[in-house]
Amino acid sequence: MTPAWTLISAFAAALIVLLLPARAAMASRMVALVASVIGAVAAGSACLAKLANPAAAPWSFDREWIPNFGSRFHLAADGLSLTLLFLTGITAIAGVLFSWNIEKRPRAFFAFFMTIIGGVYGVFLSRDAFLLFVFYEIVILPKYMLIAIWGSTNKEYGAMKLTMYSIGASALILIGLVAAYAAAGATSFDIAHLAAATYPSAMQAWAFPVLFLGFAVLAGIWPFHTWAPTGHVAAPTAASMLLAGVVMKLGAFGALCVAMPLFPQGFEQYKALIAGLAVVGIIYGALTALSQKDLKFIIGYSSVSHMGFILLGLAAANHWGLRGAVLQMISHGIIAGLLFGIAGRVVYERTHTRDLGELGRFDLWKSLPGAAFAFTLATAASMGLPGFSGFVAEISVIIGLWQVYPWLTIAVAAGIILTGVFSLRALYRAFFPEREAAAAPPPKLPPLTWPEISAIVLLLTVSIAIGIYPKPWIQLIDDGLRSPLFQSFLSLP
Amino acid sequence: MNHSQLFLQLLPEAVLVLTALVMLGAAVATGRKPGKEFSAGIGIATFGLLLAAAAMFFVPPAGESSTPLLANDTLARIFKVVVLALGLFAIWLPLARKELENPGEYYALALFALTGLMLAVGSNHLLFLFVALELSSLSLYLLAGFPRTARASEASLKYFLFGGLSAAFMLFGISLLYGVSHSATLSGIAQALEAGQPSLLAMTGLAMLLVGLGFKLAAVPFHYWAPDVYQGAPATTVAIVSAASKAVGLVVLVRILQIGFANVAGSAAWGEMTAGWSLWLAVLAAVSMIAGNVLALAQTSVRRLLAYSAIANTGYLLVALSANGPKAAAAALFYVVVYGLATLGALAVTAAVERDRGDDRISSFAGLIHRSPFQAVCLLVFLTSLAGIPPLAGFVGKFALFSDALAEGGGMGFVWLVGLAAVLSAVSLYYYLSVLKQVFVKPAPEDGFQTRTLPPTHVLNLAIPALLLVLLGTLPSLLLDPIARALCETLR
Repeated sequence: MTPAWTLISAFAAALIVLLLPARAAMASRMVALVASVIGAVAAGSACLAKLANPAAAPWSFDREWIPNFGSRFHLAADGLSLTLLFLTGITAIAGVLFSWNIEKRPRAFFAFFMTIIGGVYGVFLSRDAFLLFVFYEIVILPKYMLIAIWGSTNKEYGAMKLTMYSIGASALILIGLVAAYAAAGATSFDIAHLAAATYPSAMQAWAFPVLFLGFAVLAGIWPFHTWAPTGHVAAPTAASMLLAGVVMKLGAFGALCVAMPLFPQGFEQYKALIAGLAVVGIIYGALTALSQKDLKFIIGYSSVSHMGFILLGLAAANHWGLRGAVLQMISHGIIAGLLFGIAGRVVYERTHTRDLGELGRFDLWKSLPGAAFAFTLATAASMGLPGFSGFVAEISVIIGLWQVYPWLTIAVAAGIILTGVFSLRALYRAFFPEREAAAAPPPKLPPLTWPEISAIVLLLTVSIAIGIYPKPWIQLIDDGLRSPLFQSFLSLP
Repeated sequence: MNHSQLFLQLLPEAVLVLTALVMLGAAVATGRKPGKEFSAGIGIATFGLLLAAAAMFFVPPAGESSTPLLANDTLARIFKVVVLALGLFAIWLPLARKELENPGEYYALALFALTGLMLAVGSNHLLFLFVALELSSLSLYLLAGFPRTARASEASLKYFLFGGLSAAFMLFGISLLYGVSHSATLSGIAQALEAGQPSLLAMTGLAMLLVGLGFKLAAVPFHYWAPDVYQGAPATTVAIVSAASKAVGLVVLVRILQIGFANVAGSAAWGEMTAGWSLWLAVLAAVSMIAGNVLALAQTSVRRLLAYSAIANTGYLLVALSANGPKAAAAALFYVVVYGLATLGALAVTAAVERDRGDDRISSFAGLIHRSPFQAVCLLVFLTSLAGIPPLAGFVGKFALFSDALAEGGGMGFVWLVGLAAVLSAVSLYYYLSVLKQVFVKPAPEDGFQTRTLPPTHVLNLAIPALLLVLLGTLPSLLLDPIARALCETLR
């Protein structure tokens, strides 16, 4: 199966689901699940093929599309894209499994869900800036609908805020792309072509921050991150997983594969500022998470904190930093999905509260031991303990950072300690509360269902697999980083 | 050229006029039977429009039949078909029966308006253009005030007063231009302007001409009529004003500026601004986009919202024109068609909701997805296309418009205008989403009213534009390339 099947299966599933008879909940779920599995298998098998034969030319698909402004339907999958495709596939499967009990308008739910997945695949595969932007924008409306219709807690506000941030950021991206197109001779939107052109430094000095910020807003850069916690909390579980797990990665991917290669001089000017903002994001996210009472808000702010590592890796702009950034994209995608899945689906559906104090009443470690066990592992992964994917990613970023901004690593270390503090605080207060012996016995909660268990096992397995044996992932990412796109600001050892 | 050739060239227009006359005669002959007359009117008008479309095949090709008055080029042909198609959809819009006491006259006037637009789209001569535009404008003033309600009368009166004033400006401008160049054909004016510095008189004439066309396109500050007409006039009138009339206004503007005044464009690029129509249009574009988008945020009536959205969209179109390049102009022509389809569809849904609920407040759209999923999904397509979300044609249109405007508008100096357009276009998503929120998120009110079954014309009216928007969004070259080629041919 070629990587194209990721894209085809997702969009086909969105269409098929809409054609099903009304209220066909089971059928919609199955279609979405099968399509997600096809996507994940297509991406996974392509990863394996790439590992088995690293020298093979990457898969690509290139057809004339809109000659009038030089846009081609150009898809290609190098190692970097493949790993991100695989992450998306895994998150999609887990998301469908965690939404198994959606009974309200299931067809529309899974149609919007699969459209987001398809758009994400499309961004990771696009080699034409216009095509990439199309896929990037396709995601916006389904995001709004998922949150506004199926969400909770202030959902209409959260949905609108998130959408306006996204579209505003898209306007910046549009300005940046169009400026590059015009300055490069107005003949082609091919990313390689745009990156090969030279732009005057006066232009790079304004075009880079515009384009980079456009992508970075979606990656949750401080101080433009406020949409993320609000949106993640308002969203239904599967949407939180997608938003934190893969949609935020679109921003990081765009920053890495479009903004930085297009305007390397501009990047040189601004990279210290980006690193600074990233560190502020790491610490600010962790501190805010420390003061939250709602479990989902804690995870939402922890996402802001973890996304800071990605931006930091990008700002370091050396081999370790970029590799760490991509690893962190994958790692955080998996872990955020897991945390949101357990907090939003497994726990909230049974207890109908996410308040740390309220949750204490349920004695979750006794009444829901499976969830407590899984959340403990997920917390460990989120804290970046060795053996989990987060460790590999964050240590790479820090090594990269050490080579460029050694003094910043002190602040990052503080951020990591704070991450440990807020993660453990949330874990203990939600799952292992102290109780007086005289208190009323905790209410009985229904046990975990098989879709929940399989989703949890799937995500944990991937995180631990990366943590224990990161070599194939690093090979794939390095393959992508060898692309001529990145050579303007990176030299491989 | 002999008379039969001339007649063949104007065959589609002749068919429309004859149809309109037949309709008037039939209306007089049968007396007043509102119910029957209504569907008969739509039937005759449909027949006439389809016949006119068929007559397009008999128009001789451009090379052998050019006259100083008529530009029978591919661009004109494409947009004549566009006018016919948009006109057909407009006629099919569901109207409240009580709005029209004598439908025969109403639809006959609608055909006259479309005839005027078709003539204007292919005119090379300023006086001929003026007459054609006045034919459509006079018909539209009447069409706006057809229902005997205070609101419709106000709309019609405002439309007439502003229209009359702008027509006066336009005519005065034409007379000045004739005085300067001793010619009222576009090529003649271009020749006269080629020699040296343009005179102040010629520039004044051009400015006055732009006032008239700015009124047609509802550009700020010539837009005051738009919200009232959109709200008070019958849906069909609004559809003609917003879709067909706007498309024609843009073609005429492109023709006049690019053929007649190509060398007095000036520049709107930051830092090297020089006086000329490029700079004027850039200013009009900026204020139209700002006023349209900001005022649309505050609307509670969907029709008024669409009016302000029309003003904002005029702004985007003028951004492309002020870049003064063929590719940007082609992108604008593509976008105006796409915009017309989307607005028409949105109006169709609005008209149907009005019939069911009695008004067009945004809250009346609550729960439309449960009451009429088909209309709700179509409205989603129309509004997201207007907002510029892929994979719909509005997205490609705006993107092409912005990228070509920047590429041809003097490079990075044009970023101020394109950037403003991009940011305001992002703002527009807010008000389109506020309608879609009612449609998809809010529950339907439980007041027990029934949604009426949709007549087949209404189904087509929604389905065809929606499908076209998806098709042109994924394969824009189908329309963008022919328009770009036709424009090159026209400007050669």
